Amino acid sequence: MPSTPRRAAVIGGNRIPFARANGRYARASNLDMLTTTLDGLVARYGLAGERLGEVVAGAVLKHSRDFNLTREAVLGSRLAPSTPAYDVQQACGTGLEAAILVANKIALGQIESGVAGGVDTASDAPIAVNEDLRKVLVAINGARTVQQRVKLLAKLRPGQIVPDIPRNSEPRTGLSMGEHAAITAKEWGVSREAQDELAAVSHRNLAAAYERGFLDDLVTPYLGLTRDDNLRPDSSVEKLATLRPVFGTQFGDDATMTAGNSTPLTDGAALALLGSDEWAAAHKLPVLAHLVDAETAAVDYVHGRDGLLTAPVYAVPRLLERSGLTLQDFDFYEIHEAFASTVLATLKAWEDVEFAKDRLGLDAPLGSIDRSRLNVTGSSLAAGHPFAATGGRIVATLAKLVHEKGTGEGGRKARGLISICAAGGQGVVAILEAA
Amino acid sequence: MIALYAKAAVGAVLPGRARSLPGTVLERSVTPEVGHLADYGRVCGFPLADALPLTFPHVLAFPLQVELMAARSFPLPLPGLVHVANRITAHRAIGLGERLDVRVRAERFAAHPRGAQVDLVAEVSVDGTRVWDGRSTYLARGAQAPTGLAGELPDLPEVDGPAAAVWRVPADTGRRYAAVSGDVNPIHLNPVTAKAFGFPRAIAHGMWTAARALAALQGRVPEAATYEVGFRKPLLLPSTAELVTEQAKEGWDLAVRNRKGAVHLTGTVRRA
Amino acid sequence: MSTDRFRDLSNTALAGRLGVPRVPLLRRYEPGQPLLPGPALVTSVGAGRFAKPIAALVEESGQQVLDAVGDQKLAAVVVDLTAATTLDDLAAARAILTPAVRKLAPSGRLLLLGPEPAEASAGAGVEAAATAQALDGLVRTIAKELRAGATANLLVVAAQAPPAAVDSAVRFFLSARSAYVDGQVVRIGVPVGSPQDPAAMDSPTLPEKPLSGRVAVVTGAARGIGAAIADTLARDGATLVVVDIPAAGENLAKVANRTGGTALQLDITAVDAPERLIAHLTQRHGRLDLLVHNAGITRDKLLANMDPDRWKAVLDVNLRAQLRITEALLGEGTLLQDGSRIVCVSSQSGIGGNRGQANYVASKAGIIGMVRALAPVVAEKGVTINAVAPGFIETEMTAKMPLGTREAGRRVNSLRQGGLPVDVAETIGWLGQADSGGVNGQVVRVCGQSMLGA
Repeated sequence: MPSTPRRAAVIGGNRIPFARANGRYARASNLDMLTTTLDGLVARYGLAGERLGEVVAGAVLKHSRDFNLTREAVLGSRLAPSTPAYDVQQACGTGLEAAILVANKIALGQIESGVAGGVDTASDAPIAVNEDLRKVLVAINGARTVQQRVKLLAKLRPGQIVPDIPRNSEPRTGLSMGEHAAITAKEWGVSREAQDELAAVSHRNLAAAYERGFLDDLVTPYLGLTRDDNLRPDSSVEKLATLRPVFGTQFGDDATMTAGNSTPLTDGAALALLGSDEWAAAHKLPVLAHLVDAETAAVDYVHGRDGLLTAPVYAVPRLLERSGLTLQDFDFYEIHEAFASTVLATLKAWEDVEFAKDRLGLDAPLGSIDRSRLNVTGSSLAAGHPFAATGGRIVATLAKLVHEKGTGEGGRKARGLISICAAGGQGVVAILEAA
Repeated sequence: MIALYAKAAVGAVLPGRARSLPGTVLERSVTPEVGHLADYGRVCGFPLADALPLTFPHVLAFPLQVELMAARSFPLPLPGLVHVANRITAHRAIGLGERLDVRVRAERFAAHPRGAQVDLVAEVSVDGTRVWDGRSTYLARGAQAPTGLAGELPDLPEVDGPAAAVWRVPADTGRRYAAVSGDVNPIHLNPVTAKAFGFPRAIAHGMWTAARALAALQGRVPEAATYEVGFRKPLLLPSTAELVTEQAKEGWDLAVRNRKGAVHLTGTVRRA
Repeated sequence: MSTDRFRDLSNTALAGRLGVPRVPLLRRYEPGQPLLPGPALVTSVGAGRFAKPIAALVEESGQQVLDAVGDQKLAAVVVDLTAATTLDDLAAARAILTPAVRKLAPSGRLLLLGPEPAEASAGAGVEAAATAQALDGLVRTIAKELRAGATANLLVVAAQAPPAAVDSAVRFFLSARSAYVDGQVVRIGVPVGSPQDPAAMDSPTLPEKPLSGRVAVVTGAARGIGAAIADTLARDGATLVVVDIPAAGENLAKVANRTGGTALQLDITAVDAPERLIAHLTQRHGRLDLLVHNAGITRDKLLANMDPDRWKAVLDVNLRAQLRITEALLGEGTLLQDGSRIVCVSSQSGIGGNRGQANYVASKAGIIGMVRALAPVVAEKGVTINAVAPGFIETEMTAKMPLGTREAGRRVNSLRQGGLPVDVAETIGWLGQADSGGVNGQVVRVCGQSMLGA
């Protein structure tokens, strides 16, 4: 085992095109999509029959039968069946957290290679029975006689048979993510125009990335879909301005969040391939970037003053301090676009003097970023956001971006910052540096 | 389909059955739907991918098989025909969205130690190129075949050893497979109808067992492959079964057996 | 694989009684198959220097070699006519061949070796040149007369070529790998590059795996002939990089995973395509032993209705991309090494033209021009470049033709059937071997001696 930690290399990635829910992948399960994505990764890097250190992935919306989802995907893939795997779940932070876990094991010399990412389907979501019915069914399962079972069944009332469809809402606040985001948007005075502009740029950037072949070695088609079907290359501020607000409607005319500047429910999967430099060299695989450091933060969005999706605001200054960097020391910023307003509120918080002093405990704010470096090949507003898949998408994308750029200002290695907000008031952030 | 079974059941007791195989060739063209494929995959254990499972085209050919066997021109009565062996060769992976031309005919009407056997042969082509072949061998107990012809059944290796998997096969397996395959033979559907044909309980479709076993080898089977199975003791529903697999040169040998060791199915998968 | 019903029907007893010409079932290569299924007659007229080493080669493969026609059926007949210079020599050849063709087994192989007519005239005069050229017509005629899947081909060998120069060609033409190559004349010169495969320095090349250790790129590999090429090269031991457009990625991933290679999703017409291919190869393998330019598209229209878009699309994919990628690789200088091979997929219609395919035919003929022009240039680096020109091959593309056209395409050749993608692939595998350096700047037709464009 190496005496000092080494840095984990990001070698590349693979994802399937993301599809809007109940569309092209309506009949595909998490396991189907994750296995296919894994096989596409195996094909891209020539790993058929190879035993990797581990595969780590997860899904936010998960059937109980998929308790060992990632291991099942490995067993169904062309990887050696001797490759271990486990599931993680940290809401929208899943994919990035998985990459951090794999990178840390690589850094410690415990493994030489690993795959990290996630998958989600909003189409094939698990539907649970409501609590009353569940109790009756559990009791029936335990009943010894037919008479007992019939008796138990007879106790059911029609209202108890209504299923529990998973909702995109926080258990402790009862508010949906969009409603939470709308509150934060209002708090920070994020305008409708700014949100629509961000959304339009995201579509434009992703379309341009496809056009220049940037995604050729990041995406493998699935079920006949070759590009993300949420992508609207012709999206414009004017078109987006015509949409009706869907979140924060309690604010009347101040409601700013529409279906156009919020991510849709999406199906998809994404994975990143990581390894030690030695492993990559031995397999003649490219090292695009190194994962330098990472941080996860959480906020008290229930009883405290912070918004549900604002944890990255806290995670980034801690990460910067540890790394001795400023917010301006990056060539690329990959800030997950759960909602356009989330990205904009995060940027405003970092620029705010009062907030820096009162809430972040800093003498000065982090400052503003060069917006031309933000989500330069598009992000979730354009591609869509299958919750657990987003981290894998961003890690592979950013690794490729810093690799393409090579060096940044003053000849230092190109560097990028990832920031992903997650349900439960959490945020996962990381730094990648060109190899 | 149920109507065909009914018609065949009536036909079985009427006189005037043909003595030789009809020259009929039945054809259909079909583009499998994602939904059908997903349902089939869920029942048999295949993932939903861009390529059809090797056994899937069988369910596309099956309705034509039944139509052919239910006809008065067919020399054996459909009710009571037992599927004893099946051989499938996929020449290449078949992609989702490809339009498949399916042709079914009967051949090799021959004697079997316990009656007569016949093969239902299915060919699947894409734009004139053969991509898949299927041969289903059925036995009619006590029936007479034209003299002089002796049928042959595949000589499959016996696979012994520890179970690779234990399946708890639920009672509704026959009904679920019937829904995705169109094979609504009453012996698979529920205990009462199965009893009418002399089985103690409903039995699993042989092709379900075959598909389920192949699905267990996901990721380890070449796309162009020959999958040959022999059906032995019926798998009663519900029950617990064991899958045994053994790597062979250019493929796998496998068996499905009950917990006491009685064999339901033996099979081989080989690169084609 | 193909649904050639006529061929199947023609092999029934009834068809035989009715006098329907039988369409032969061709013997095709399978791993582990011996070079020949029966004995071979190997002989020469005059002091040919190839008969002996070829006889040794056949014996080494475990097959019996005869020096005269007897009662036995012959799996192959090889006549070394490289020393034939007179009409009397030609008559001697006739005396050997007439009884020999009668004894040729189904899917038998007749292989002649002759001198280069121009060289013959310089050395031994006009009669020698006439004799040499006579062999050309002779072999094409024998190919038309042979039945039951037997083929006849001629190797025209340069005077300077050492005996070992013909080995890989002899192996190919005698084996079942050349099932659909018939009536062809292939020139063999002094080998280009080292015959020792640099990729196989560590482990000697096995006859089973003639491409062991070699890194091969196949463009257009997601389906059809390209996928067959990938499968065949992988079977023969090559390490594959399979390339196709991103939209074909799902199929491409399957080809990569089943051949144990890597999938490179790349639009070969993109401006940076050569650069990206080079980057991939440099990173992953540091070498390129076999480049197969296979990617091709059709956008058929009569010339009278041809629009610039159709023209451009076809020429860009089929020709311009090959030109640019080859040029970039030659300029790069390190990936293509002594012993590397380039094989381009042309087409029989590139030789003979085809109605409604002006753009396609122009591109495929252009490939032949490119191959001929580059051959002497790449030879300086020890590299060869050749083209294969498939005739009627049973693919998803040809299956879409109208029945009449399809049937006509299948039957107007000496083997009276269409070829299979694997036939094209086998030919590419042969040209891709390090010890095939004697063949350079050639167009090898894989057409069953089609009458189209002949």
